[in-house]
Amino acid sequence: MKLLARYNRVTLVTTIIIMLLTGIAYYQAISWILTRQKDKDLADEETEIYEYVNINQRLPDAFENKHQQIIYTKANPGSVKRVLIDTVYFKKWGKNNPKRQQFHATGEYESARGLITSVTIANQTYKVAIIQSKVETEDLIRIIFAITIGVILLLLIILLVTNRLILNRLWKPFYNIMQELDLFNIADKKVIPQIDTNIDEFKRLNASVTNMSTKAKRDYQTLKAFTENAAHELNTPIAIINSKLDLLIQTENFDDWQSKLLTELYSGVLRLNRLNQSLLLLVKIENQLLDERQQVDMYQLIEGLIIQFDDIYRDKGLKLTYKLEKKEIYASRYLMEILFSNLIINAIRHNRDGGEILINLNTENFIIQNTGNSEPLNNEKIYVRFHKSSNSEGSGLGLTISQQICENFNLVLKYSFATPYHTFTINFPNQV
Amino acid sequence: MKILIIEDEQSLRESIEEYFKGTGNICETAADYATALEKINIYRYDCILLDITLPDGDGISLLKNLKRNNYSDGVLIISAKDSLDDRLEGLDLGADDYLVKPFHLSELRSRIAAVVRRKTFSGTGSNLLIVNEITIDLIGKEVKIGEHDIKLTPKEYALLLYFIANKGKVVSKNAIAEHLWGDGVDITDDFNFIYAHIKNIRKKLMEANGKDYIRAAYGMGYKFIG
Repeated sequence: MKLLARYNRVTLVTTIIIMLLTGIAYYQAISWILTRQKDKDLADEETEIYEYVNINQRLPDAFENKHQQIIYTKANPGSVKRVLIDTVYFKKWGKNNPKRQQFHATGEYESARGLITSVTIANQTYKVAIIQSKVETEDLIRIIFAITIGVILLLLIILLVTNRLILNRLWKPFYNIMQELDLFNIADKKVIPQIDTNIDEFKRLNASVTNMSTKAKRDYQTLKAFTENAAHELNTPIAIINSKLDLLIQTENFDDWQSKLLTELYSGVLRLNRLNQSLLLLVKIENQLLDERQQVDMYQLIEGLIIQFDDIYRDKGLKLTYKLEKKEIYASRYLMEILFSNLIINAIRHNRDGGEILINLNTENFIIQNTGNSEPLNNEKIYVRFHKSSNSEGSGLGLTISQQICENFNLVLKYSFATPYHTFTINFPNQV
Repeated sequence: MKILIIEDEQSLRESIEEYFKGTGNICETAADYATALEKINIYRYDCILLDITLPDGDGISLLKNLKRNNYSDGVLIISAKDSLDDRLEGLDLGADDYLVKPFHLSELRSRIAAVVRRKTFSGTGSNLLIVNEITIDLIGKEVKIGEHDIKLTPKEYALLLYFIANKGKVVSKNAIAEHLWGDGVDITDDFNFIYAHIKNIRKKLMEANGKDYIRAAYGMGYKFIG
């Protein structure tokens, strides 16, 4: 949920609740005040009746105006208590009022306030009921209430709109920082820039993020330099072992067991060396140190590799079929050779005896398919450093290197499996 | 052949010296910049092996010094750093080849042989390499046994040259594989396919009445007997 939405929801709910409570309180207050007013009017009316009776010693005419009825009925002395009541008022409609037709009635009841009192004239007690309609009072309350609600709604709308505008603008630096973080790449040289803002919180956030990224980059560089230096330093001892082995085999006179040991030593050193060279290569590719670009004739390059490896796949009894079209890409020739020889070597290495390899090059992509293990490879793990199948004698860096090369030259490397073929596809970018 | 080995790593220097000694080669060594500078300004060599990272100086300036004095010694740079810039700088300054550590001694020897052959060719105009009854035309890449032409595939040709450069030495299968398929190539540990090439070369040489020069050595490698 966006912060703005959350904020709006909270303000909206609280505003509505408070406004509702205020509305109720307001309504109660107004209606109490107006009822008191009505009661005073009724009392005034009562006083007028008493004065009239005192002067004239008779009841006033039972009259009825628009909103008031006064009814006199005879009553036993002492049976009438003076009381104010909520009651109804029957309002007669005029002869021509269309409501008469509509409701088949002669009038309607309206809520009203009444005063029951008594008056005594010549020993006869009369019950006096003065009833005043509250219609106008209620209309008044309704209008006041409607205006209040209208104002509240207007206020809410203005609040929402201004919140949206102001908050969006306020949060802009935040979103800018977020965007920079999304673009952050620990391997490249670009740092997170200073965002233009006056808000302290964002300044702090920006500073922290910049600090963190600088530190991460520095640590990463240190680590990378360490890997590189370690690999470089390893070259000399490997060279020494290699050269001593080369000398040792010149002494000859080995028995079978000794020569088996020597062969295994050689192959161990070979693997160590390849691993080290792969690490060095990976560091170089990641640092884009091998970035000199030229037009590379893919047709020629791939055909050359196929010829280069033909004795190796023949030795395994593999059947290699290829279909190549003319294609040139703008990239490093050296790295393209490594990329495609890695893929071809993998197709040979992970094949079964008497298996198949299909190679297809066209202007859009390069596809290499090979038979082998009947289980698909784990698409997520194959590019991970040192991930390799259990029976692989490789360094576990081949596909990592291949993918890194592809990344450098905007090529897309994909793996898929459809029985019986493992397929690697490289999509070429649309170069002009 | 007179060779100067400029290499600060004692163990490696001794290995190289040991491998090159005998078989008519004279080896001299220099462990640091000062000794090397002194030697290159006094003596002339067929080939100088130059480690460009020396403790007391830069191998590149030794190379510059050689070129400034117009000395025509062949120079092969050996470096622990496989940096394209270094390689290009070295070759631009007139080094004949660039070999990255670690390497097989047989590879080093084959490279030195190539450097020396190029020097000989530019000096005498001879492009023929003659070993007993085998005559190799290095420009046309043609091989003859006596008067018989023999047809070798490019890999067999490269392998034959490699063996001849390492005449009398046991060459490991690893070294052969790296020489033929490149050291970046990470194939399998069994090198059956090398055997097929060796067999073919022997067959072709013997069919043209050549001697059987190549012997297997304890399953670890092969040896060209001169």
